[in-house]
Amino acid sequence: MAPAGSDRRLRTRLIVALILGATLLVVAAFGVGRFSVPNTGAPDTFSAEAGFARDMQTHHLQAVELSMIVRDATDNPEIRLLAYDIATAQSQQAGQMHGWLNVWGLPQAAPEPPMTWMARAVPGGSGHDHGAATGGFVAGERMPGLATDADLAQLRSLAGVGAEKLFLRLMIAHHSGGIEMAEAALERTTNATVSSLARGMVKAQQSEVSYMQKLLEKRGA
Amino acid sequence: MARRTRPSAGTGAADPANSSKPLSVKEERQQRRQAKVATFKLAQERAKRRRRLAIILSSVASVAVLGLVVAFVVTSNAPATKTTVADLTGVQTWDVPGAVHVDPKQVDYKAEFGMDPPAGGPHWAEWLNCGIYTQPQQNERAVHDLEHGAVWITYDANKVTGSALETLRKRVPATYAVLSPYSGLSTPVVVSAWGAQLKLAGVNDKRLDAFIKKYWQSPDAPEPGAPCTGGVDGPGRI
Repeated sequence: MAPAGSDRRLRTRLIVALILGATLLVVAAFGVGRFSVPNTGAPDTFSAEAGFARDMQTHHLQAVELSMIVRDATDNPEIRLLAYDIATAQSQQAGQMHGWLNVWGLPQAAPEPPMTWMARAVPGGSGHDHGAATGGFVAGERMPGLATDADLAQLRSLAGVGAEKLFLRLMIAHHSGGIEMAEAALERTTNATVSSLARGMVKAQQSEVSYMQKLLEKRGA
Repeated sequence: MARRTRPSAGTGAADPANSSKPLSVKEERQQRRQAKVATFKLAQERAKRRRRLAIILSSVASVAVLGLVVAFVVTSNAPATKTTVADLTGVQTWDVPGAVHVDPKQVDYKAEFGMDPPAGGPHWAEWLNCGIYTQPQQNERAVHDLEHGAVWITYDANKVTGSALETLRKRVPATYAVLSPYSGLSTPVVVSAWGAQLKLAGVNDKRLDAFIKKYWQSPDAPEPGAPCTGGVDGPGRI
């Protein structure tokens, strides 16, 4: 009688200990996972991710427009191929950003002026490294590198080498501004999808800038 | 958990006595009773400890679970407040039939689809460049813009003039939007997207923003993000 009773007690105790142990293990594992990994929830409509996805679409689509204009304005195969590259690549990237907003359940239309997300301080940033941490960007101002309506009108009016040179100048500025925006996004996001595309933009556009500078030199500018 | 040496109740305590001299029956009985009492006390103590341990462990587990719940609530994003559009009453929608290119044929959108201005349907291959226009535009070109995710803001040029027109121009999105006068509107301003239209009371009607939020570049358009540049400039573009 007594041994049977103590056996049962022992078993109960063991089960309780196992359950508690398992619970604590689950809790600990969940906690570690939860706090060591960036929050994977969808960004909200005022986030840097959403702001970047909206503004960069606008920025990219102007690069597409510039490229299509110059493709019609010149027969030069180098320039036409570069323009083809930029137009298709940036359309595709704009499409990715469009898709993010849809997946995040956010409107494509911005709830605040362009660049507002860039004008906000970098989270955890020291803020005193020559103002470049926030980039000195001002909400509602023209995005860096965007060509003006007058630039576009002038490009449309030109043909041949004249169009090529203006295109290269505009696109070098455009890419440089795009790199600034992508870097601003990288400073403000932990979202792996956003970071990956932004990093790709920085890399590809930097190399295209140096290529375009060579093309421009070749044309005596 | 602290390991406890389990005293072998009775025998151990009796051993030294046993070796010295034989015990009387009475003494033996007493000894057995004492052993029994000791065992009972021990068991009682053990049960008490067990209870205390259970209370401590379950408290720890409860606190951990509670902490987990709190942490989850705090760190999870508030669900993206899905655009519960403030006020979009009065939007008319259509299940737009096809998007074929019919140029140079003109489409009677009013007779065929009950849309005036048109909010989708067959259109011309050449699209209208987005922007601000001072003159009426070819419907078939503007509808192509709607297919590409643009909104088309039309206004009654007799009712919307001067500073009111300036106000309206400022409310037009920088890209993927066309503003043009349109004759025969039933209200001063009408905004259209692919398959949706809203008649606005005037240039300050708040519902314009709500409409743009919902329909500008909306995935409900067949080709949002397709160009609204590189097409045709209509008359009176500024």
